[in-house]
Amino acid sequence: MVNAAPLSLRIADVSHAYRIDGAERTVLDGIDLRIAPGAFVALLGASGSGKSTLLRLMAGLERPRSGRILADDVEIAGPGPDRLVMFQDPTLYPWRSVRGNIALGHDIAGRGDRDAVERAIDLVGLRGFERAWPHQLSGGMAQRAALARALVNAPRALLLDEPLGKLDSLTRLTMQTELRRLWEQRGFTAVMVTHDVEEALLLATRVVVIGGRPGRVIGDIAIDMQAPRHRDDARLLGLRRDILGQLGHRELW
Amino acid sequence: MSGLLAAAPARLGATGRRASARRPDWRPFLAAPAWWLAAFVTWYWPDADDFPETALLSRLLALVGAVLFVAALSGRLHRRGPWAVALGLALAAWEVVQAKLLWLKRPFFGTPQDLLDVFVSDWRRLADSLAHSLALLGVGYAAGALLGVAVGVGLGRAPRFRYWAQPVIRLVGPLPPAALLPLAFVLIPSSRLASEALLALAAGFPVAILTWSGIAAVDPALYDVARTMGAKDRFLVWRVALPAAMPQIFVGLFMGLGVSFAMLVVAEMLGVKSGLGFYLQWAQGWAAYPNMYAALLVMSVMCSVLMSLLFKVRDRVLRWQKDGLKW
Ligand SMILES: Nc1ncnc2c1ncn2[C@@H]1O[C@H](COP(=O)(O)OP(=O)(O)O)[C@@H](O)[C@H]1O
Ligand SMILES: [Mg+2]
Repeated sequence: MVNAAPLSLRIADVSHAYRIDGAERTVLDGIDLRIAPGAFVALLGASGSGKSTLLRLMAGLERPRSGRILADDVEIAGPGPDRLVMFQDPTLYPWRSVRGNIALGHDIAGRGDRDAVERAIDLVGLRGFERAWPHQLSGGMAQRAALARALVNAPRALLLDEPLGKLDSLTRLTMQTELRRLWEQRGFTAVMVTHDVEEALLLATRVVVIGGRPGRVIGDIAIDMQAPRHRDDARLLGLRRDILGQLGHRELW
Repeated sequence: MSGLLAAAPARLGATGRRASARRPDWRPFLAAPAWWLAAFVTWYWPDADDFPETALLSRLLALVGAVLFVAALSGRLHRRGPWAVALGLALAAWEVVQAKLLWLKRPFFGTPQDLLDVFVSDWRRLADSLAHSLALLGVGYAAGALLGVAVGVGLGRAPRFRYWAQPVIRLVGPLPPAALLPLAFVLIPSSRLASEALLALAAGFPVAILTWSGIAAVDPALYDVARTMGAKDRFLVWRVALPAAMPQIFVGLFMGLGVSFAMLVVAEMLGVKSGLGFYLQWAQGWAAYPNMYAALLVMSVMCSVLMSLLFKVRDRVLRWQKDGLKW
């Protein structure tokens, strides 16, 4: 598990549509973003605004209807192990043990780096559970396993789709710190979808707000604060008010 | 957590053992006397008619009693104990009712010694029939299972294949395979080959449908995960779709095995002149009822053992599942 050079991402005027009940529905409209290598970008927005879709496009799981997505200035033609995804559900393979799940990428690539797998198990703190089946894990542990499954492949970009969305609030706090630590330690580019403003502010170096239907970029805020950040920090509270305002919840504040 | 994981089964095991440790359980020791009673009745009470093998039967019953006694001594007769008692008493009752008192109508109801006599005098032909049945079933079922999984994967993952295959399967699949038997015997010159083809068809249909439904139900996110890591179709089929569909595939394999048993008997009765089905029919033709009971016994043991084997395989393959029906 060597640290791979972080990936730069360029989303050039991307629009996307889905066919729903025979009608074409535009989901994303004219998204244009440059993501610097090593950044931690939070994609924030109401549900249904197309955040997951944007992430799938970046992963190469789908091709955009129009526009281009470039990774290090090369157009993305499909999914690839330099850009790995972590979903809201751990999506572990139930027939593989924790260790087997973490070794998934190696099995696919046909190489057997046992040491890397063992290090990934330690990295996410799953030592002692490597032989457990996924159904025996708690939600937080399952997400750790999913994280290790991605990290063991030394991805240059990690695309996270509400990875902590289903965890209880205490586990969530632990995992937020963990994610931030791993990002600092491993130096990949992180793009994390979330609908939790506080989470975005605690973790990200940049918050991109997506809103409307179809989704557009309606806010883009750099956060140049070092970790550890404190939730009660006056600057964060100010940013939080701004973002909630952009999302149309000004009256609450 | 790993302690917790281990604790549940361990605790289950412990209660059984602790109960036996606390106070010696005398109930397993009832089994041997039950069988010895059957042996004694058989030997001491004169038969109502000239039945064969009475002496051998009583000796066998006594021997089983001895084995059960040793089993009880070594503490290996806890769970099966009540069954061993019941079986011994039932045999004794059967012996009294039929061999000693002749209460039930002959020749439809035989005596235990009639049955034993068949195994003693005709074991060669029974064993031969069993071997033939097993061979026919083995080839047909294995071919059907493999074919079924292959077709199911095609239905689940290849739209073009599905387009052409689905209507055919919808038309032919639900047809009871036995209905095709006369046609198969005409079309395929070897009756053995024809039976194997029909067995394969019988087993293949449920396997194909359940493989398909299993693959259709695979969470697409599982494919996405593998695809982002660079997996190609081969990996997606062999290492994602098939393992994910395995619980359903086993349902199909069980259904297929059941249908195969039925098909086997019909094929052996109507076409192949060998096997347990043929033996049954021969026994009926000669009104050899004890032979019929013997063949039925062999057949039910065969089917039961094969079912158990499949359960064993399933428990091994699906050991990652939360729950599992115990057979
Ligand atoms: N595979 C799909 N087929 C059809 N419509 C889809 C599909 N995926 C997403 N959508 C639609 O696109 C819109 C945006 O979805 P999504 O990207 O999941 O939003 P978000 O992640 O921001 O909640 C929603 O209206 C959703 O119904
Ligand atoms: Mg989403």
